[in-house]
Amino acid sequence: MSLTKEKMLEAYATMKKIRLFEEKVAGLFAEGKLPGFVHLYAGEEAIATGVCAHLSERDYITSTHRGHGHCIAKGVDINSMMAEVYGKATGACKGKGGSMHIADVDKGMLGANGIVGAGGPLACGSGLMAKTLGTDQVTVCFFGDGAAEQGTMHEAMNLACCWILPVVFVCENNGYAESTPWGYHCAAKNIADRGVAYDMPGVTVDGTDFFAIYETAEEAIGRARRGEGPSLIECRGFRYYGHFEGDAMLYVTEEEKKRNRARDPIENFKKRATERGLLSEEQIAELDSKVAAIIEEAFKFAEKSAWPENKEVLTDVYVNYP
Amino acid sequence: MSTIGIIANPASGKDIRRLVTHASVFDNLEKSHILRRVFLAIDALGVPQVLYMPDYDGLVEKALKGLKLSLKADQLHMDMWADERDTTEAARQFCEMDVGCIITLGGDGTNRAVAKACSEIPIVAISTGTNNVFPSMIEGTVAGMAAGMAAREMVDVDRFTYVAKRLEVYVDDQMAEIALIDVVVCTELFVGSRALWDPHRIREIVLARAEPDCIGMSCIGGLLHPLGPRDPQGMYVRLGGGNTTVLAPVGPGLISKVDTREYRLLSLGEEVVLEPAACTIAVDGERQLEVFAHQKIRVRLTNRGPRVVDVRRYLYEASRRGVLRTVVK
Repeated sequence: MSLTKEKMLEAYATMKKIRLFEEKVAGLFAEGKLPGFVHLYAGEEAIATGVCAHLSERDYITSTHRGHGHCIAKGVDINSMMAEVYGKATGACKGKGGSMHIADVDKGMLGANGIVGAGGPLACGSGLMAKTLGTDQVTVCFFGDGAAEQGTMHEAMNLACCWILPVVFVCENNGYAESTPWGYHCAAKNIADRGVAYDMPGVTVDGTDFFAIYETAEEAIGRARRGEGPSLIECRGFRYYGHFEGDAMLYVTEEEKKRNRARDPIENFKKRATERGLLSEEQIAELDSKVAAIIEEAFKFAEKSAWPENKEVLTDVYVNYP
Repeated sequence: MSTIGIIANPASGKDIRRLVTHASVFDNLEKSHILRRVFLAIDALGVPQVLYMPDYDGLVEKALKGLKLSLKADQLHMDMWADERDTTEAARQFCEMDVGCIITLGGDGTNRAVAKACSEIPIVAISTGTNNVFPSMIEGTVAGMAAGMAAREMVDVDRFTYVAKRLEVYVDDQMAEIALIDVVVCTELFVGSRALWDPHRIREIVLARAEPDCIGMSCIGGLLHPLGPRDPQGMYVRLGGGNTTVLAPVGPGLISKVDTREYRLLSLGEEVVLEPAACTIAVDGERQLEVFAHQKIRVRLTNRGPRVVDVRRYLYEASRRGVLRTVVK
């Protein structure tokens, strides 16, 4: 595992940024400050962080409706993210996308996506680009357990394997497609097993364990970068919030919620890193303060940013608007 | 006694070795299909009840779907953690209930988790993992037939079981883990993806079995001095910097030159004190413990492992006795 102290500090900061960003958004949504829907990533931080730690700005990711964590882990500016969630003109997409459509192509973030399962074909597109141009760029396609049952994902996995594209499919199995338990909608009862059908390695990993995800992603991404083809990683975890904000989560028992809280990915990381003496309590506390300030700054930035002008409705819709 | 317990591990055969070696995915549908054949065989033998460990992937429920059986299949009442604690808890309950036999589907790790709670009940171990030494590649139907005969005491199973060796890992004089095949010191600091595949990250190996016809750590020892399940010995191997190299299949399709500095055989009851260092300790192929340099790690070889049914010898004896033979007059 190529994990240095610097990388661990960075990983902790990223996970903490995701958590605090989501907690802030949850509060703002409850106050009625945010338009549209928000789907929060808290509880799944180790996945985006452990995977994106192996990607550079030149690599690509495709995301889901629950995309804030992916954006942060891929290095999208947090101010522009928060402004986008607000729908402000300074947002990553000029306030036109909102929470479910944050994109930053310069950072290799090809977009959160309101259509479940839509990221797979996009990932094949950027994968084909890299293969055609002969670059070593890798695309990671994040998708959920609900998306795993969509035809688009099956087509994408088949295509990626037929063409041996540099794509890594990362399934974030948080147990529920909206409110439908994963065991109910998955006939094969295991998503990683589908790798067999498409002739790619399929691995199941604990979606709350940063170290396990980091090590697994390192191998899968390295494999894709070397031109050895796609892999499928199923990360099993949970989400702390509902499918969307406002979802009362009546389909999750209190016992299950309590058990999930006991497996918190950030606390788990912190405990093990400090026990090992790789990170100190002081470093953690310093990072906690810095991250809190970053999120507060993003909130202030979004609050004071202007709304898009009316004429913006007609821009960026087509390449050339008539 | 005529009840059979089933523990099927939904997680076996899906770890990082699909990426770093040429291991196959052992898909859960195939596990359910094996279970279906196991159930049909057990039912044909007239076993009245099967108890099974619940799991999030519903392997047994899937196996039972559409089957018309005379036997009663009941799920154990237990909390689920979706990790090896489930297996250990199910084994504990089976032991308490004194079931006639336990059938396991999994790898070395699955059987280790069973052995943590239960060493008295005979095990029929079906391999569905990756680098397996402990369980065998047995057809589910055959395993079910043997388990059914054992549970119904059609042939005394005791004569056809052997007591497995067990390695006990002590951290600062407290027993922290057990292993049925190997205890390995890995230089990685974190358990991470658990698996072992790079000999350069391995420092010491303690083996209960050193089998040259297997893959994984056991084979490294097996190429130095073979030791089977019934040999009353184990082995300590120190890797790195020596003058003996073995060409060992450390993973499926992954053959590595492994430098060994020394090896020595261990007697039952003998202990090895591992070199102090911050490291991870792997048991039966999976990194399991994150230990610190100040901790003292000892490994003791014992004969306190579970009782394992030798299915082949057992079925040969059943044949000799004509247990399943009927002469029509």
